[in-house]
Amino acid sequence: MTDAFEWDRRKFIKTAAILGASPLVSGGTMAQQQSNSSEPELSGRVPRKPFGRTGIEVSAMALGGYHLGSAETDLAANEIVAKAIDYGINFFDNAWEYHDGLSEERLGKALKGKRNQVIVMTKVCTHGREKKTAMRMLEESLRRLQTDHLDVWQIHEVVYENDPDLIFAQNGAAEALLAAKQQGKVRFIGFTGHKDPEIHLRMLSHDFPFDTIQMPLNCCDATFRSFETQVLPEANRRGMAALGMKSLGGSGELVKFGAVTAEQGLRYAMSLPVATTISGIDNMQVLDQNLRVAVNFRPLDAFEMQSLRDHCRPTAADGHLELFKMTTKYDGKIGREQHHFPTAEQLPL
Amino acid sequence: MPQSPRPTIPLRQFGRADAQVSVLGFGGHHLGEAPDEKTAVEIVHQAVDGGITFFDNCWEYRRGKTEIWMGAGLKGLRDKVFLMTKACPHGRDADLALSMLEESLRRLQTDHLDLWQVHGMAFDNDPELFIRPKGAAEALEKAKKEGKVRFVGFTGHHHAKVHLAMLQTGFPFDAVQMPLNAFDANFKSFERQVLPELNKRGIAALGMKPLNGHGEAIKNGVVTAEEALRYAMSLPVATTITGIDSLEVLHQNLQIAQNFRPFSELEMQELRDRCQQDAADGRYELYKLSLKFDNPEARLAHDFPLDTQQSEVKDMLGAQQNTGHPFPEKQF
Repeated sequence: MTDAFEWDRRKFIKTAAILGASPLVSGGTMAQQQSNSSEPELSGRVPRKPFGRTGIEVSAMALGGYHLGSAETDLAANEIVAKAIDYGINFFDNAWEYHDGLSEERLGKALKGKRNQVIVMTKVCTHGREKKTAMRMLEESLRRLQTDHLDVWQIHEVVYENDPDLIFAQNGAAEALLAAKQQGKVRFIGFTGHKDPEIHLRMLSHDFPFDTIQMPLNCCDATFRSFETQVLPEANRRGMAALGMKSLGGSGELVKFGAVTAEQGLRYAMSLPVATTISGIDNMQVLDQNLRVAVNFRPLDAFEMQSLRDHCRPTAADGHLELFKMTTKYDGKIGREQHHFPTAEQLPL
Repeated sequence: MPQSPRPTIPLRQFGRADAQVSVLGFGGHHLGEAPDEKTAVEIVHQAVDGGITFFDNCWEYRRGKTEIWMGAGLKGLRDKVFLMTKACPHGRDADLALSMLEESLRRLQTDHLDLWQVHGMAFDNDPELFIRPKGAAEALEKAKKEGKVRFVGFTGHHHAKVHLAMLQTGFPFDAVQMPLNAFDANFKSFERQVLPELNKRGIAALGMKPLNGHGEAIKNGVVTAEEALRYAMSLPVATTITGIDSLEVLHQNLQIAQNFRPFSELEMQELRDRCQQDAADGRYELYKLSLKFDNPEARLAHDFPLDTQQSEVKDMLGAQQNTGHPFPEKQF
């Protein structure tokens, strides 16, 4: 997703001199220093963590599928996946609707011959529609990913208030998850969403046998409409594999606005009680930056975690760093259509 | 019903205060959509003639245009109406709010307001920024003490929790404004979460967005304009503010307000039930889910990105200079 507003906003802020510098400017300079190329060659592998109660293990950092579709070429996507696997990343995220299938197709090609080394996840995009739509999407995803089964299949983007009702309605998407699992086409099932902890909790209130749950987790979330405080403990209590996303705000907002460095943001998210942190990577530079954090990963201690939360609290408080909670900007095209919402062009924020 | 030569609109008590207002209020934002000042003045004249006494406005609407036009329309009629406008500090200092008040008074051609509200409480940290030392709360207090405003309040359309947090600051508000319609009753509801609290405290409740902002549900045939307005006006509120941008809309609204008969509880529930399905994902209440209905001033103050396609942002970006504190008035 390109960001025309960001540019206009920055230009305008500069002219208008509104608000002045953030009190957290030190983050910005550190982030810039990170891009210096005088870093030593990477050695080691990304550590593994238990995947909920499933008995399998996944890398503490996962490769986000959306950005694979944003990579410049098929070849670039291939190289990102290959290098990620070389350094121990074994969890690959995707969704049926990402870039109209391109993300799944690219991942399928890149994983050729390596399918058994990795955990493949994709998501179904019914957005309220029924079981048979979900099953059709599953077949399409399997074909694009060039595999006969998924390790994880999740319901994508549960962000509208009535989504839980529609998903659990008779003949809804929840039934598709069970059927697919029963047929051996998927090993584990779950759901994702970026909007509101209350919607996640409503999904959990159905006591459906979800194996996984995906949510935004970052050091701003900790104090603003928080998944970390409201949903994560419940997921842990139930033994679900918790998957963190949007560790830097979705498009690096936490770093761009100087709240934290990329390293601080990633380490914070990875230090939470999650199975993995999914990070979108569309070029080698970002991959190298993230691998450096993940390969050398050492969890932050409780004091360091709290310091980061306190540090972010003032800028987190109105949600401008977590636009996926506060606006419709991160809500996908198909979900909007199914819910009769205006398009991203008509309703960008 | 006895036919009087000049029809009027019923009046209601303004909370626990010694004042009364018409059950239908004139929304200032839409006045800026009138083709010119002459038309706007005519709309205001006919509204007063038709019995509307409550007039709403805001410092940041159309960069001052709606206050200037309403001021022109109310010339000589000021004492007949209950005039409200809003300040737009959006978390910034009391001094800024007070300078906005002076500007509003000048544009509205008056020396006092009946009601002055803090505009657009939207973001989770707005309440703490409001009540902090040097925050806008001090401006409300000062303006009231100096007699520049009779009553004070706040508005917002995003989140009932933000309204409740504002009430929890303990500040003595006379009025609170919020979206109230049959969709709201089913979805992230101000009616269920905020309105009873206001009634309990004797604070004047002001409803807005009776037609969901721009009448989307009416265009799609879910409710009629009359049903929607009657629903909102039948709630325990002092007034229902609705946007009026043309004589045609004014006449339609006057007709409904002059003949207003409250819905029974049964009729209210019937309408809520009819709207329930469409209300469920918020498709008709986007002001609770997006920043589309927020003014650029609020987004800037909070560091949110601007939607460059929105007309008010275009207005702002087209201005010759922006100092930001506050934006200089644009000449119309």
